[in-house]
Amino acid sequence: MKLRLFYTRDNVSNPVISSVVLKTKIPIGILEARVSLDGGEMVVDVPATGKTLDEVRELFQKSGVLTKEIKSLIEIDYEKCISCGACVSSCPVQAIKQNRQWEVELNEERCIRCLICVNACPVKAVRSP
Amino acid sequence: MTEQRGAETLRTYEEINEKITKGDAVVVTAEEFVTHVQDRGLDAVAKEVDVVTTGTFGAMCSSGAFLNFGHSEPPIKMSKCWLNDVPAYKGLAAVDAYIGASAMSESKGFDYGGGHVIEDLVSRKEVELRAEAYGTDCYPRKAIETTIVLDDLNQAALVNPRNAYEHYNAATNSTDRILYTYMGTLLPNHGNVTFSGAGQLSPLYKDRNLETIGIGTRIFLGGGIGHVIGEGTQHNPQNQFGTLMVCGDLKQMKQKYLRGATYYRYGTTLYVGVGIPIPIINLRAAESAALPDDQIFTNILDYGIPSRSRPVLGKASYAELKHGEVIINGRSVPTSPLSSFKYAEEIAEVLKRWMREGLFLLSRPADLLPNVKDFKPLEVRRHEPRVKDIMTVNVTIARPSHDIKTIANLIVRDGVDHIPIVNDDNRLTGIVTSWDLAKALAQGKKTLGEVMTTKVITARENESGDVVARRLAQYNISGMPVVDDEKRVVGIVTTDDLAKLLRK
Repeated sequence: MKLRLFYTRDNVSNPVISSVVLKTKIPIGILEARVSLDGGEMVVDVPATGKTLDEVRELFQKSGVLTKEIKSLIEIDYEKCISCGACVSSCPVQAIKQNRQWEVELNEERCIRCLICVNACPVKAVRSP
Repeated sequence: MTEQRGAETLRTYEEINEKITKGDAVVVTAEEFVTHVQDRGLDAVAKEVDVVTTGTFGAMCSSGAFLNFGHSEPPIKMSKCWLNDVPAYKGLAAVDAYIGASAMSESKGFDYGGGHVIEDLVSRKEVELRAEAYGTDCYPRKAIETTIVLDDLNQAALVNPRNAYEHYNAATNSTDRILYTYMGTLLPNHGNVTFSGAGQLSPLYKDRNLETIGIGTRIFLGGGIGHVIGEGTQHNPQNQFGTLMVCGDLKQMKQKYLRGATYYRYGTTLYVGVGIPIPIINLRAAESAALPDDQIFTNILDYGIPSRSRPVLGKASYAELKHGEVIINGRSVPTSPLSSFKYAEEIAEVLKRWMREGLFLLSRPADLLPNVKDFKPLEVRRHEPRVKDIMTVNVTIARPSHDIKTIANLIVRDGVDHIPIVNDDNRLTGIVTSWDLAKALAQGKKTLGEVMTTKVITARENESGDVVARRLAQYNISGMPVVDDEKRVVGIVTTDDLAKLLRK
């Protein structure tokens, strides 16, 4: 599950992720980080579901870091999409494929939120929510 | 005996149009035609099929529209004009303008351009018109700001100087950084291949001898009906790089088939839908229309080399490219198109339906297009400085065995900032800058190995000053060793050398 973490001025200097990893033994991957001494946001990948995930979220919460589940990393607006394929091979992890009708399909599991596809789309049909 | 190009030996335009009117014409898409011919042979199918429909939907930068705004009260002779802040060409009469697809908004830049203006006009959205003038006795007004919608305009003619490239090169990137090009986003180290063109649906490839497509050919253009008005710019049919100049009434067209677009960090453009009927007037036309994807080839070029002649790294058929992978240097590389096959197929289907329903008749071209035409380069006749003209030849170098104090002394002695590290063959193995030494001092680093950069950005003697200046800026560095084919250091070029050029 991908989570968005919200840091404040008070906790941004604390090793929050490391502490959670040490406590839960769950390897947390950082996909995106936009933080300064004033706080900020991170997107992390937590390879857990159900109770374990709740535990991780609780630990963050206790450290003052609010979390929000990210249901999808990338959204494709099929009203705008022209099925060209510009986002397909530019994806470094092949998370986007074209089906037999040339429509693009996103594999959420593979996506690493690098956002290359968002820029590669010529008609702004690929967005990061 | 060789029959003339365009000979109507199998059927005439009149015969086909009569059948279309009666609802009897046999019309198939190029993809269906390919399959039929593979199943039953060319002669049998050519006897039956009257028309083959083609389609393509891709980014076509040489597109735009002539607009006539009508006269305001008091009237104005516009000398400059903007549509939604995108500059339109005003070297025409008082209220005529040409909005080009690749012109970019003065406020939004890459995010909005002429292609988007055309899409917004076709969508019947209000577009802001702003113009300036110097004022004359007959046109006293000096400025105007208003809004227009497509139906207000007297004329809105989509006139595209170059559309529907017969086929196009595929692109890859040998460098170690992402490139943003008109061929889309190219991942480093041959991470992907992008390609364009509709392959076996491509209008010009399906009439590669130009037997039927000519001036006055009626076509599907942007969802409406348009015409071919001549060869496109850079028309180079003998190398299967034929192009078309096309024209049509914007008011008839549909937003679906005219889409404003942005190629990230490259610019704005317009996706244009073009569909052309190929009447099977003779066997050569049939043979060309029957070409399948696996017999249509294109070169894979390295867009990592910013030159007019990019190295060819391989060749691939559209069948391979559409399949999704090609082999480059023995490694499988993912491919994907930039033009839409979904829309191309749809356009060929729409054109087929129009003819089956009797809504679209063929026109015999007034003249065929040239089937041989050179594509000439632009010679630069003024002297432009190359790296060899500006570089410093006496380079202060050091050896991998030197310690950093020796290198610091060299920097002070010769008053330079960059010391290339070369081995005994004079081959480049690294570089140390005065900044590296300052950092070493701050961080307590001691050995050359810790300090030196081994991945050195280099220049070549024959590169132009412009290209080198861009590279320095790109990597945020102040100098580069100049190397030969053997990676031997022959000079060094720095921002100081480039600054001297400006002072000249």
